Amino acid sequence: MNANYRQRWARLWHAEFCSPKDFLRRAAMIGVAFLVAQIAGLREYTSFLSGTVVWAAAGWKLTVFLGLLYLLLYFTIMLLVPILIIAAVVQHLLLRFFSRPKC
Amino acid sequence: MRASNAEWDFMGRSFLVWSLANLGLREPAAKQTYLAVIDQIIDETARLEHERGLYFFLMPYAKARPYEVQPARSLFLDGEIALMLAARRVVEEKPEYKAAMTERIKGIVDRMENNPVPFAESYPNECWMFDHVNALAAIKIADFLDRTDHSALLQSWLALAKRKLVHRETGLLISSFTLKGEPLDGPEGSTIWMVAHGLQLIDEDFARDQYQRARKELGRTLLGFGYAREWPTSWKGPMDIDSGPIVPVLQISAGSSGMAFIGASAFHDDDFLSSLAATLDFAAFPARKNGGLRYCAGNQVGDAALLYAAVQGPLWENVKSRPNR
Repeated sequence: MNANYRQRWARLWHAEFCSPKDFLRRAAMIGVAFLVAQIAGLREYTSFLSGTVVWAAAGWKLTVFLGLLYLLLYFTIMLLVPILIIAAVVQHLLLRFFSRPKC
Repeated sequence: MRASNAEWDFMGRSFLVWSLANLGLREPAAKQTYLAVIDQIIDETARLEHERGLYFFLMPYAKARPYEVQPARSLFLDGEIALMLAARRVVEEKPEYKAAMTERIKGIVDRMENNPVPFAESYPNECWMFDHVNALAAIKIADFLDRTDHSALLQSWLALAKRKLVHRETGLLISSFTLKGEPLDGPEGSTIWMVAHGLQLIDEDFARDQYQRARKELGRTLLGFGYAREWPTSWKGPMDIDSGPIVPVLQISAGSSGMAFIGASAFHDDDFLSSLAATLDFAAFPARKNGGLRYCAGNQVGDAALLYAAVQGPLWENVKSRPNR
């Protein structure tokens, strides 16, 4: 990765706190984290909810830890991400509306 | 699975056999396919029980002390195996299974009749309502199949249960008791939904009464999501292997919520059933692969119980709607 590319990426990623871009950035980060958990197969570890160890070798502590991690990401993506996206859209529209020059 | 609970290995087999029997009655064209699987499961289960002994499918505490009645038998195993054999024979007769079922039923009946009260142990001096009702359902189907008559035993059991095994505050049947009929526990969600369903074969009115009470005391719906508590508010019980982990505040029990599907389906409580299904799809993490469906948050016995809830009906209807063969 060259310096120019890194600078452009940093500019793209930079966002003011609680700005529409900041909300979208957070939603994207959660989405990526959830995707990684999904691909890694953490969904299987939610078996701890029924008191079942997914694999005997995994053990109870690891099952509960990974299962809870998946639950946290799942409920965050189901409940928080839509709110972040709606907030970004609403704030963007409000900023555009109030920053329009008055006739 | 067995690492978590050996009982679940056994119950997964039972629920699958009972489900396939219902499917065999629903789809006569595919009957032979279902029967082949049923027979394989029954034969393997009986072989394991014979070769490894009754403790193979029980939790380790079964060995902590001797059974009161010797030689040791568990109604948990005998009742469910008898019900597997009975369900199979309703779909299609198989002479070898007639002998095996008759022997199981005779063993159960002898133990109940030789005890001062008609109860039998599942664990040492520990009797479970779930196991008794499964055993009684098997006896009822045996009467239907073989023109035997155990109605006196069924009625005396029912009368005693109503008198001694009902929790005063809720009117619900308790989940476990001693061989003398002394309560060991209160009403339990992971027990009562299936018990109400089993009682439909013995006493339809009492069964419906138990379901309605369970629905009131244990069934909950929040924002369209249905779930069930393990214990009513009037009884404080511990989180255990049957309840599964309990979600604090709402007191959601995976075990009770899973079994609630069977109750809601058996009593045609469509509103509760659809709200339970909404919760299942949202929070039990369905995994679909090669046309199959399982729930990651559940386990083998949970999936089999859900299948049973989805297909139950024809087996019970067959027995209830026709006089003894």
